[in-house]
Amino acid sequence: MSPLAPFDTVQITAIAEEVFAAMVDGEPGHLVPWAGDAPVLAEPLHAWVEIHGTFAGRTLLSTDVSTADDLARALLGMPADEAVSEEDLVDAFGEVVNVVGGNLKALLPVQEKLTMPRVGRTAPDTHGATRIDGVVLAWRGRPLDVSVWQI
Amino acid sequence: MRALVIDDSRTMRRIVAGALGRLGYETVEAGDGQEALDVLEAGGRYDLACIDWNMPVMDGLTFVTNVRANPHWRSVTLMMVTTESEHGQIVRALAAGAHEYMIKPFTPDALRDKLELLGLLPLEETV
Repeated sequence: MSPLAPFDTVQITAIAEEVFAAMVDGEPGHLVPWAGDAPVLAEPLHAWVEIHGTFAGRTLLSTDVSTADDLARALLGMPADEAVSEEDLVDAFGEVVNVVGGNLKALLPVQEKLTMPRVGRTAPDTHGATRIDGVVLAWRGRPLDVSVWQI
Repeated sequence: MRALVIDDSRTMRRIVAGALGRLGYETVEAGDGQEALDVLEAGGRYDLACIDWNMPVMDGLTFVTNVRANPHWRSVTLMMVTTESEHGQIVRALAAGAHEYMIKPFTPDALRDKLELLGLLPLEETV
């Protein structure tokens, strides 16, 4: 745990599970810790929000595009065979990181500013950034990496 | 009953509007505070506005301040729906004129409970 930011694996996991239970799945139990070694994402998609203020940080979510597609379908109530537009994919995955990041921000001792979410096929630049903590979770059996960075 | 759902995320607008629709609300969506003010200025009665805090163009707090400054919109109940969960932020929103505050993520049941507290459930939902 960073002296500046009170984030640890337990808190990150608890917040992610709460967000998915309330917002995505409508019930708990579909987002659980990943069993085994962290997998390599075949076609990664990343979503992140930054915290600006006394503590400068970033909450980053990474998963495969196909998983993000299903996440968007779940959030938007779309049938499994309906194609997800790029706009919906970006908006839905961005909103998930916005809610996870906003709840992590609330753990900070002072009020900070949260940026608008960003989504991309390329992860944000980690030059000069330090990974504080993170966890690989399994959403419906597929990997979702949640991490917090000091930037 | 009619509600204005204000959020820059289409996903979140759809989630909130869907939950309100299942409770019997007719909803209109806006992508930021300015767009929502334009909707109000265009006329029509709204019982409720669900407002995100962090939005481009005009944020939710500025929207609340603008609505409260106009006596024609006094009957609209303002509910912040946001990830801004720090006590100081809640106090700021309530001081600006918001009536209620709901933190994301929320469940449809939590939304229903808030509306019941506010006396804003459509008749068929109150039985």
